[in-house]
Amino acid sequence: MERTQALLNCLYHEAELLDEGRYREWLALLAEDVRYRVPVRVTKERGPEGGVSGVMEGMYHLDEDYTSLEMRVARLETGFAWAEDPPSRLRHFVTNVRIGEPRPTPKGEESEVRSNLLIFRSRWDRPDYTFLSAERRDVWRQEEGGWRLACRTVILDSATLPTHNLSFFF
Amino acid sequence: MAKVKTGVSPRLSRMLEELQEGVEDGLVPAWIFNDPELFELEKEKIFSRSWVYLAHESEIPKPGDYVLRYVLDNPYILVRGEDGVVRALLDMCRHRGMRVCRAELGNASHFRCPFHGWTYRNDGRLIGVPAEREAFGQDFNKEEWGLVPIPRLEAFDGMIFGNLDPEAPSLEEWLGEIRWYLELVTKRSPQGLEVLGPPQRWVVHTDWKLALETFLSDSYHTLMTHRSLIELGIAPKDAKYAMYGEQIHIPGKGHGSMVVGAPPGAKLPPFWGYPEEMLERARTSYPTREQFETARETRILLVTLFPNFSFHNPIRKPDHKYQGAVPMLTFRVWHPLGPGRIEIFSWALVEKDAPEWFKEKTRLSYLRFFGSSGTFEQDDTEIWSHVAHNAATPQGRHLRFNYRMGLKLEPDPNWPGPGVAYGLNFTDANMRNFHRRYLEMLLS
Ligand code: FES
Ligand SMILES: [Fe+2]
Repeated sequence: MERTQALLNCLYHEAELLDEGRYREWLALLAEDVRYRVPVRVTKERGPEGGVSGVMEGMYHLDEDYTSLEMRVARLETGFAWAEDPPSRLRHFVTNVRIGEPRPTPKGEESEVRSNLLIFRSRWDRPDYTFLSAERRDVWRQEEGGWRLACRTVILDSATLPTHNLSFFF
Repeated sequence: MAKVKTGVSPRLSRMLEELQEGVEDGLVPAWIFNDPELFELEKEKIFSRSWVYLAHESEIPKPGDYVLRYVLDNPYILVRGEDGVVRALLDMCRHRGMRVCRAELGNASHFRCPFHGWTYRNDGRLIGVPAEREAFGQDFNKEEWGLVPIPRLEAFDGMIFGNLDPEAPSLEEWLGEIRWYLELVTKRSPQGLEVLGPPQRWVVHTDWKLALETFLSDSYHTLMTHRSLIELGIAPKDAKYAMYGEQIHIPGKGHGSMVVGAPPGAKLPPFWGYPEEMLERARTSYPTREQFETARETRILLVTLFPNFSFHNPIRKPDHKYQGAVPMLTFRVWHPLGPGRIEIFSWALVEKDAPEWFKEKTRLSYLRFFGSSGTFEQDDTEIWSHVAHNAATPQGRHLRFNYRMGLKLEPDPNWPGPGVAYGLNFTDANMRNFHRRYLEMLLS
């Protein structure tokens, strides 16, 4: 129970940092060896094994490590990152959280954490907005100083993205 | 140039005259970047008669491999038959028009319609009709009811293009002298290119011509639009870096290229930073010595084909901490969805015979700088959408944009490649040439 609550707190705290644009603090939540990926989703026939399909191994929207995520954050800080300046108003809705059994690894105890994510995005004074819906398949690791995101795969619910760029984080 | 024809509304005809008057003088009215009536005319006069990029042959290497692609709203199954031939079949059942292809990509020996079950082989032939005898009788000839191929399908060095106009000139003629610049990429290695997976696809509220302009002629925007990458030390320190290049257009065709070298005094590796072994292979795979010499001096190469295909082949540091630089190649289709709305199809490609470590590096470089999340491209799409919005406003739509940059430049007589070249990349020459061709097609 304690672990469950701690991980839920992590997800909600993370959503708050992303919604408020506190990206340096967000980076501190990431493990140094973090793998952060958003595969391209395509329309495929239902496979014989059932379930959903169309998650492409071959191409991604984002395939990041710590340094490249830090580069994206540093870019937002230059004062010339027009895609997010003025910043989008973002809201991360995190629901349906499923937390797996803890497992020991050489780098610390890890837990699989799945959650549903809805991102609302509004820019400028326009009345329109975009939504992105996804499932996040995370691995969180207990390190000294707290839980860190070690791995995230974002399974998008769109094949063609309805938004003009991915200048934010999932 | 032809006079504006009757047949278009008086409103549109007045507007086209406005464009015609301005274009030679480098004045282009804003409304052409977001107008419903003009968009209808573009569909009929441009996209129904132009060679439109569909796929790279490496996307469908094996018999039965297919991808679904579009020309305007028409869905085409681009499929390699058992005979190895690539066809583009209209995804529309001949019985009542249902779509017979159920996925964006895959491998299939046949396509079966979910409505009444007509079944087509992957070469388009109709091979199965449920209750054929009882329903259609003895004299039903399945051969007449195959899937309809796109009127024209041709390829250049693995790049597959389709054309809705049976009377269109050949792809080779359509391309003309821009081939020399295409070949700087398609013939860089004897084995040619392969895609690194399916395209990223996303929607931008802008006009296809605005997106295309960035890749066809607008090196000037890098100063400001991409300033964040200059600040981070990812783009060259000299903010005018994209100026030090040649801008080339092919008169009469609308195509253009930008070939950029290193800024003066900057140390950038030759040949876009491709691995040494690839440079060695390029020595013999380029058709001409001039192409090899040009490639060796190139750091950024863009080629845009009229009407809506571009590729971009720059050299970039993969992140702000990395020492060194990595080249990447992206193919682009600026697919028109409606007035002020496009879908971008964006692929990453690499030479088939490139070393594996390099394929991985170039893939990451692409993902971080271009495409749906690319740090360069994010700012482009942000800006394009605001311009298109303004281009549809009551007061803004009649403002004229300034396409006069480099209007007085003299062509560079020493440029070794074909086309009209200017030795300074800060010019709108390619775009003026594009608009000439654009008007010519709209009016013919
Ligand atoms: S519409 Fe395809 S079988 Fe009837
Ligand atoms: Fe740009």
